[in-house]
Amino acid sequence: MTSPMTETEAVREQVTLFRKRIESLRAEIAKSVVGNREVVDGVITCMLGGGHALLEGVPGLGKTMLVRTLAETLSLTFSRIQFTPDLMPADILGTTVIDDTQAGGKVFDFRKGPIFANIVLADEVNRATPKTQSALLEAMQEHRVSVGKRTHVLDEPFVVLATQNPLEMEGTYPLPEAQLDRFFFKLHVPFPGRDDLHQILDLTTGAGITTRQAVLNREDILQMQQLVRQVPVARHVQDYAVRVLQASHADGPDAPDLTKRFVRYGSSPRGAQAMLLASKIRALFDGRFAASVDDVRAVAHPALRHRVLLNFEGEAEGIKTDQVIDAILKAVPEGKAEKTATAGAN
Amino acid sequence: MRTPLPETPSQGMQKIRRLAAQAERRIRLGRALRVGARALCAALVLAIVDVALRKLGLVGERTARLGLGVAGIGVVAAAVVAWSWRLADRAGARALDRFHGLHDRLASALAFGAVTERTPFMDAAIEDAVLAVPQAKPRAAVRLPVPRSLGPAVGLAGLLAGVLLFEVRHHIPIAHATTIDPMEMAPDDLEDVKDFLQQLKQKDQSDETKAAIDEFNKLVDDIANKRLDRTEAFRRMETLEQKLLTGSEADKKSLEEQLEKIGEEMKKAELTKPAGEALADNKLEQARDAMHELAKKMREQGGQIDKAKLEQMRQALQKASADAEKRQQAIEQRRQELADDILKRKEKAADGGSEEEQSLLQKKQRELERLDRDLDQEKNSSRQLDRLDRELQQAAEDLMKDMGLTAKDLDQGAEDINQMQRQQMSEQEKEELKQKLQEMRELMRQQGQGGKGQIVRLKKFGRMARGQGGQQGQGQGQQGQEGQEGQEGQGQEGQGQQGQGQQGQGQGGQGQQGQNGQGGQGQQGQNGQGGQGGQGGETWVLGPNGEKLLMLSKGQGGGGSSQGSGQGGNGGQGQGQPGRGWGEGHDPKTQAGATNPKMGTQDTQVQGADANGGSRSQVILGAAERGFASRGYKKVYTEYHQVAEESLAKDEIPGGYRFYVKRYFQLIRPREEK
Repeated sequence: MTSPMTETEAVREQVTLFRKRIESLRAEIAKSVVGNREVVDGVITCMLGGGHALLEGVPGLGKTMLVRTLAETLSLTFSRIQFTPDLMPADILGTTVIDDTQAGGKVFDFRKGPIFANIVLADEVNRATPKTQSALLEAMQEHRVSVGKRTHVLDEPFVVLATQNPLEMEGTYPLPEAQLDRFFFKLHVPFPGRDDLHQILDLTTGAGITTRQAVLNREDILQMQQLVRQVPVARHVQDYAVRVLQASHADGPDAPDLTKRFVRYGSSPRGAQAMLLASKIRALFDGRFAASVDDVRAVAHPALRHRVLLNFEGEAEGIKTDQVIDAILKAVPEGKAEKTATAGAN
Repeated sequence: MRTPLPETPSQGMQKIRRLAAQAERRIRLGRALRVGARALCAALVLAIVDVALRKLGLVGERTARLGLGVAGIGVVAAAVVAWSWRLADRAGARALDRFHGLHDRLASALAFGAVTERTPFMDAAIEDAVLAVPQAKPRAAVRLPVPRSLGPAVGLAGLLAGVLLFEVRHHIPIAHATTIDPMEMAPDDLEDVKDFLQQLKQKDQSDETKAAIDEFNKLVDDIANKRLDRTEAFRRMETLEQKLLTGSEADKKSLEEQLEKIGEEMKKAELTKPAGEALADNKLEQARDAMHELAKKMREQGGQIDKAKLEQMRQALQKASADAEKRQQAIEQRRQELADDILKRKEKAADGGSEEEQSLLQKKQRELERLDRDLDQEKNSSRQLDRLDRELQQAAEDLMKDMGLTAKDLDQGAEDINQMQRQQMSEQEKEELKQKLQEMRELMRQQGQGGKGQIVRLKKFGRMARGQGGQQGQGQGQQGQEGQEGQEGQGQEGQGQQGQGQQGQGQGGQGQQGQNGQGGQGQQGQNGQGGQGGQGGETWVLGPNGEKLLMLSKGQGGGGSSQGSGQGGNGGQGQGQPGRGWGEGHDPKTQAGATNPKMGTQDTQVQGADANGGSRSQVILGAAERGFASRGYKKVYTEYHQVAEESLAKDEIPGGYRFYVKRYFQLIRPREEK
């Protein structure tokens, strides 16, 4: 039996190792993906949290590149599905075919679809019909696929990284709320800055070929996922996450006016789960052993922005969900008398 | 490389707790200061209002102190409540985390420290927090801010100080004697009343009347000295009048009637006829003398008088004495009958009598009231006659026994009559007093209506009437000197120096008195010229109906020049009308030079001619110009006044005009020169 000090020491070492891995992963990704640190961290967070990410950005910002790079650096299986209106669920999940046996007989054989990979890139996910989009629901939530009378468990880690273009809305099918809720994060991929653009051009237009190495394997990922779960959260931090979640509802206790006016539905409990898990991961990124309120605040936007649904008035007014979340974070005190406490601190 | 722990986790946790508690205290203190400063502002506002109200006297001292106490306690209470109000969980630790960017290390460590079964991660978190302890500074993390409300509080405190220093001057009414608005009457009128009262007092009258006169005098004095206001003056007059009303005219009449009836009875006997006739004519003095005469006769010639006459006299006296009682009984009987009749009619009327019956009932009631009055009067007069009745009855009884006793009774009866006469006289005086009182009241009323202006005009008129010109002022005109007496035929003319009285200032110089011519060559007295007085003003008198009547509008003040019109008469009896004032000094040559015997002088005797003096019209004109203080005017006034009085007595003149005539004569009455 190890002494507590030893356990603590082990934890410290695990955390240190975690940070090193993350740093190496970031560095490897940075070879192909310029800038977008937050998006990269967001994708890694989703992966470590066991969730999925929805990346939204105009075409050409490197969304697919990011996902592909991530898959390569993690030495995980990767599949890319280009969602189109005529894409069928079977095209994603796989299908059962009649196959000849060696004995000369006929058997039904399940041919796995692209969903059977560790990292699945669902490119332009909103171009597929809802029926096809719904094919992802079970896989994303349960990490398994049911076809016919058989259920196929997906290999861990399983991460769906979906992308969608916010500009070309014609001929698209907005993701249903149920499916949106299954995404751990919704990440906005911003347009790169001037320096980043220069760097992108240098990388992509030169003669050199960028080679990426796998820095983490499947076991490492799973180990890191387990470590994340061990990170403790103090009650007041958790309470803060809960109150933020409540404030996203129009009838919540600390709901700001913006929420009351423009929010149709607030976040589901998955939002709070995402915030807490992401906070833990963020604490580990930072080498800390516990999540903080700051972590919750930092991950609130990607965790909630696709879970807060605006009403018609909000849509008409052009309100963005990020504005609502900003108002919520501003309105919700860190404690019951938090204003007093912070006033003294400021 | 892991940083070595400076201390064990438990020690570190202790320190974290201490730091967190310190930070919490500072948070509480800051909150108490902030809330206290706000409360202080409110308390100062309350205190300012409180002090202002106290200074203005709108609240009492006790209430003001209570208000200040409440304000002070409120501030303390607010601060205490703010201090003790519950803080958020681990507010102190989180404040430290926020300030030092510790990402909730301290707060989380405290949270994990409270967990019984800690995970290695929690222990690691605690250790991590302990490592951060050295940089945690509660003072820096939780600054005590200067409350925003402190500025306004300072301003309000200054304002409060200003209010405290501000002196509100209260007008505290000092208890002082109530000044009255004195009732004012023209001095001339007051003097007239005083003269009247003086004259009345000199007459012989009852103690009651004297007391009334004294009281009246006191009232006049009080009015003259401005000791009474209008209300009090009228109240005193009413009281006095009430006293004078005791023994009314009706009683007097009733007494006269009864005496007349006694007289009628006594007239029937030969012996008592003179006394009876006098009584019947209400000549009480004569009746008294006749009674005394009869008593004397009875004493001296008692035995010689015819018995039939004596019997006749006895019956007359008995009847006379019994008559009053009978009359009283008759009235009482009549009254009783009438009362019974009225009662019956009332009962009938209650059942719904006709209008005619109602009218008759009212008539009867009025008659009953009259009878009641008559009975009262009868009783009043009977009380006065009671003694006379008894004396006459006794005399009638004694007549049959002893003449001496009868004479004594008759003497007593005569004295009773005398007493009644005196009483009657006193009644007359009381009546005069009453009338004067009414006149005075009317004067007061009119002068009150006329305002102060009228009083001023009346004062001025009074002075003019006394021959004083000008208004009362400070200067004094030079008195005219009296002409010197001519002596021994060569007396020089007295030179009167003209006194000058300016209008509005100074009294008019007084005219010289004409000097008497002395000796055979007494020269005509030199006119003394009086100083010119101020111009006479107009005097308006309110008539009975309130109209203004001009009394006098002309006159060069009172300082007229009196014309010495004396002539050397026989024996040097020159007669000069008096000037006003008197001469002073004399000619230095008190003796004329000796007559030269060689001059062959011829004595001439001058016959002084009797003169009637000026005509009435001249006198009146003179009085109008110079005032009512001359002797000639007195005479004329007396004549005219007498005529007026007679007319007033005889003619039917309405009361208002009667007053007006009296007032007129009162105003123009002769004055004593001052």
